[in-house]
Amino acid sequence: MTDFGALLRLLTENDVEFIIVGGAAATAHGSARLTLDLAIVYKRGSTNIARLVNALRPVQPYLRGAPPGLPFDWSAQTIEKGLNFTLITNLGALDLLGEIVGGGGYEQLSLDTITIEVAGVSCQCISLERLIQVKRAAGRLKDLEAVAELQQILSETQGES
Amino acid sequence: MKADGQQSKSRGGLDPVIEAYRKDVDVTLIRENLRLTVDQRFQQLMKLQEFAEDLQRAGRKARSQK
Repeated sequence: MTDFGALLRLLTENDVEFIIVGGAAATAHGSARLTLDLAIVYKRGSTNIARLVNALRPVQPYLRGAPPGLPFDWSAQTIEKGLNFTLITNLGALDLLGEIVGGGGYEQLSLDTITIEVAGVSCQCISLERLIQVKRAAGRLKDLEAVAELQQILSETQGES
Repeated sequence: MKADGQQSKSRGGLDPVIEAYRKDVDVTLIRENLRLTVDQRFQQLMKLQEFAEDLQRAGRKARSQK
């Protein structure tokens, strides 16, 4: 099980700049679909990457689905060399994304966020409208059902029938 | 421009599929969720995850006993 609250607290208390995206963002907006991981877009840049690495070190991030024992070095250098990482931690599954299709990076997405309160901390979450755009842009078949639900949520919150 | 045009066409192509799915969206579940706080929605998600894991364990056990 992914402990969303604990992961979000860990990131926030270490001043990591990030935006919740994906299924967890859909949950924040009212989706009833099950998601198993926390996906975030993190701000690139050495200061934030250093915070991210320090924040997550205690929960032992490792490449999700990789065989145990691979020499995965959890360091700022590793994050700087890569972009998107699908990880498993002691608190559950975590996707660290430098960019997302149709949404870009942290700076672009930060124009379309809302502040949510989860587990006693305030976090930035992609707006419902932008989440729909991003999922549509990704164009994956598995996302289309999710988009349908998100559009329904948008109608409900806008008071449409 | 060409790339944009292709993207628009592709998006337009998705709409009938999304609309077809939308007819089956359970609005009662959405309305129930919208009455909750964001924190409560995450707590509910975690309970659901736990339940899904319990079901998976039960399924594995049942298959191994066959």
